[in-house]
Order: sequence, then C-alpha cells, then structure tokens
Amino acid sequence: MKSLTTIADFLRARFPIEKMNLQSMLMKKEVPIHKMSWAYYLGGLTLLFFTIQVITGLLLLFYYQPTVNEAYDSVKFISDKVPGGAVIRNLHAWTSSAMILTAILHLLTTFAMKAFEKPREVTWGTGVLLLFITYTFGFTGYLLPWHQLSVNATKVGLQFIGAVGQYLPGSLSELPNKLIEIIQGGPSIGQETLSRFYAIHVVILPLAIFAILGAHLLSVQLHGMSKGVDEKPKIKEPFFPNFLIKDFSLWAIAFLILFILAITIPFESFFSFPLVEPYNALGSTPEGIKPEWYFYFIYYPMELLPFWVIIIIMILLVLGLFLVPKIFSGTSRKTLTFIAIIAFIYFVTMTVFGQQIFELIKGGHS
Amino acid sequence: MKKSQFIYIFLLLLVYSFELNAYAYPEFYEYSRKVSGRNTNCALCHTHGDGPEGFEEGQIKSLNKAEMERLMRARSAFQPGIKVKSPILNAFGNHIIYKIGKKKFLELKSHPENLPKELGFKSDLDRDGIPDAQEYLDGTLAISKEDGDPKKLFIANIRINIKHIILAILSVSLMFFGFVALLKGIHLKTKLNNSNGGDKNEKI
Repeated sequence: MKSLTTIADFLRARFPIEKMNLQSMLMKKEVPIHKMSWAYYLGGLTLLFFTIQVITGLLLLFYYQPTVNEAYDSVKFISDKVPGGAVIRNLHAWTSSAMILTAILHLLTTFAMKAFEKPREVTWGTGVLLLFITYTFGFTGYLLPWHQLSVNATKVGLQFIGAVGQYLPGSLSELPNKLIEIIQGGPSIGQETLSRFYAIHVVILPLAIFAILGAHLLSVQLHGMSKGVDEKPKIKEPFFPNFLIKDFSLWAIAFLILFILAITIPFESFFSFPLVEPYNALGSTPEGIKPEWYFYFIYYPMELLPFWVIIIIMILLVLGLFLVPKIFSGTSRKTLTFIAIIAFIYFVTMTVFGQQIFELIKGGHS
Repeated sequence: MKKSQFIYIFLLLLVYSFELNAYAYPEFYEYSRKVSGRNTNCALCHTHGDGPEGFEEGQIKSLNKAEMERLMRARSAFQPGIKVKSPILNAFGNHIIYKIGKKKFLELKSHPENLPKELGFKSDLDRDGIPDAQEYLDGTLAISKEDGDPKKLFIANIRINIKHIILAILSVSLMFFGFVALLKGIHLKTKLNNSNGGDKNEKI
C-alpha cells in the first residue's frame, strides 16, 4: 500500500493535474534566455524531422513492395519513375540522419543543462527511450531497399548479437542465436526478415514512438524549460508567441536546407555503386560493408577492442543513461557540460575519423 | 571429307568459339578505380557487375538467339557512329562503341586514360549534370543519376533545379509569414479577451 502511495505521489509530482490546461502549458510558459538558450531548439528540430519522416514515409509506402524480389525494384521505381519520388526518398533518407543527429545533440545538451533534475526524470527517461527507438528506426529502415550494403550491413549488425553468446553461461549461451532467429524469422536473412523489419519499421516503432513522444511532450509542457544554467536566469521570454515564432523560423530554415540537399544530392551517392546493386544471396560479400554513420561510435571500437569490453561498455552506457537523474543529481552543470563535451568529441572523432583510426591501429580495411 | 574441308570447318568452329568468348576489358575499370579510389567493377560498362561471363541475366551464356545477334552486331561495329544495343553492355558501354567504335576502343586498352578525351565531355546519359567521361574518371556510374560525386551533383543539381529551389524558398517563406501572423493574432486576441475578462471581474 505504501509503495502504491509512493508511486502515486511520484506521478502526481511529474504530471500535475492542476497544470494540465492551455493557460499553464502555453500562455504562461516562459523560456529562460542565457548562453545555452540555443539548446532549447534542438528538441523542436527533432520533432520537425520526425514529422517529415512520417509524411515522407507514408508517401513511400504507396509504392514500396516489401518482398525480396520486388523491394529493390520498387525503390528504383520510386527514384526513377514516380514524379517527385527521388526527392521524397532523399528527403526521407536525409531527414533520418538529421533526426538522429539532433536527437543526440538534444540528449547531450539536456544532460549538460541538468534538465533531468526532479521533477523532469520522466522527461529524461522518455527522451532516452525515444533515442533508442530512433536508432532502431535507422537500423530497420536500412534493410528495406534490399541492396548489397543494406542486407550485408544488417547481417553484420545481427552477428554482433550472436557474438554475445560466447560470454553467457550454460544454456543461456544459445539465447542470442535464438534471438537472431526470432529477428530474422529463420536461420538466415530472407523474406521473413524483410517482412519483420518492415512491420517493425512502419507499424510497431511508430506506435511506440507516438505513445512515448506524447508522454515526453506532455512532461516538457507541464514543467516548462529547465533553467539550464547554475545561476538564476535574469531574462525570460514568453513561450507563446515569441519562442514559438523563433522555433518555427528555425523549422523553416531546416526544412529548406533538407529540401535543397534532397533535391541536389542523392543520399546513395555517398556509397560506392557495387554496394547499392540488388542483394545477391549467392554472391560474395562486397568490400566496404559498414553500418550507417550514426553507429560508427560503437562500430569502430567493436572492430578494435575485445568484444567483452564492448559488452560491458554497452551495458554500462544503457544503464547509465537511464540512471542519469540518480547518478548525477549532485553534480554541477560545469562538470556535466565537461562530460557532454567529451562525449561529443568522442562521437565526432569516431564518426569522422573512425576509419583512419582503425587503419592506423590495425593497418587494414574494415 | 577432304583435308581442306576439315581444316575449313575446324577454323570456322575456332572462330565461332572465339567469338562467343566474353571479354570484360578490366583495364578500363581498373584505371577508373586507380584514379577515383572507388571500388568500381565491370558494372561501369557491363549489364552485369561480374562482367559478361556467366549464366545470369546480362551475361553471355544466358542470351537467346535475338540477343546473340545483337551482340554479334555490336562486336562488328568497328567504326564509330554505328548504333549498337549489345545485351551484355549497359547504355554507357553501348555509347562508347557508338562514339569511338570497337577498333578505337581496343586500341585504348593499353591507354585507358585516353578514353575520356576520345568520348568528349558532352554526353550525359543519366542527365545528372556530370558528363559520362567525368563519371568514368570519378569511378561512378554514368547511367545512374543517384551515383556521382556528391559535390559535383550538388553544383549540377542546383543549376538544374534552381526554379524549384526558388519556389520552395518562396512558398516556405509565405507559409511562415502567414503562420507568424496567425500566432500573433491569436496572442493579441487572447490578451484582449483576458483584459476584457479581467475588467468584468473587477466590475463584479
């Protein structure tokens, strides 16, 4: 009974009913102005990119065929024959990367600004969940074009899950392989895998993200923006309409940049062409198979370090992210900013120079 | 059978089997690979990425009679200006034969670096804004508008799509202008309503 009361109190403090009205959530809301104010726009940008993802994704659904025989051709058809198809597809691809980038930056700046403090633990927790879902969107969506790169990169990704088995005791060691079979829908990647990834990408993940995003946005609006800096912010501006107008102006600029990128640079021009040929199950794995750029921060360490080290790091990272409000409750914003900067530098270094670092240490191609 | 007849039939069979052999001429994609640093392969000019030998679609042993005739016609197009449609070559491969002829093409085997000059920089089969000869040097497919050097594609497509870009900027700006006016209007109305409501309350 006592624990139930504790839970109810916790929820009441995080979702105060008295604040659930337009006046409190929109009209009276204020945004602090200080040196880190730019970071308040990152969440909104991520939301914009998600909206673009939903709209372009729905349009792609009209033509995409989720079968191993037709997937590649249907994607080619969208790009080559459907009016505006190439732009929609490129917009979907460019926006997915933009969404992951802003989601990561949003997480790091939120951490640096200590926006996970009581009563914002739920905002933080749902935010971390949203980041994981966004990554899963990226992983499942990557397979759908069914070309050499997408299928082989997915195989590599799934192999990492299988490799965990060697560190598990007894019959548990079989668990990762069973999990792979469940994900693949069989002993190897094929039609069942494509069907499952398609269902996860277009139904399961959107449902999950809508539910969690709802809780996340509600929590943000109920508690307002965190003060963000150690000292009390001297200046504040109204959320409505001042901040919202600035937010929308940024949305307009971001959309235009993405549109220009989508209309001028096909996303696949960054891959060498044998990799974007249709997947050949009987052929050998082509050179240069790599996951998408946003996995490099974990992919290159996986290639360089013993796998058990990676497992420990991953477990600590995932647990640590969820437990941030507990672990860093007493830490100053200066220290948090320092940690966030280090994490950002590591992410950028691995993303941009990961290949060079790998070649320098291992002296070959990954 | 006379000895001369036997030799004649033997030579004929030899020529025929020689004709059926597939040639990939890797000198060209190897040069492209060298100058571009990209993993180019036979798909640069051939229908099949592994080249013309094999049983798969676009490979020599899968061809039917009509395709075989088209292949022979392409192989005998020694002079430039003859339109060919070889089933083992892609549009770029066929364009090379049309533009310079098989004879010149075979001569270039020892100097693959001269191919772009011979082709010229006017033809752009995929209409991506990058000439075919340049795509050969960049190690990108001349028949795919999705494949090209990103920087060159950006510049070329800006030029091609400038009207669309201007229209997009105009429409987004107008939408933004309208939306901001709407937000300001709502804000003003709410303020007015609040102040009117406030006055009434005070009176009451």
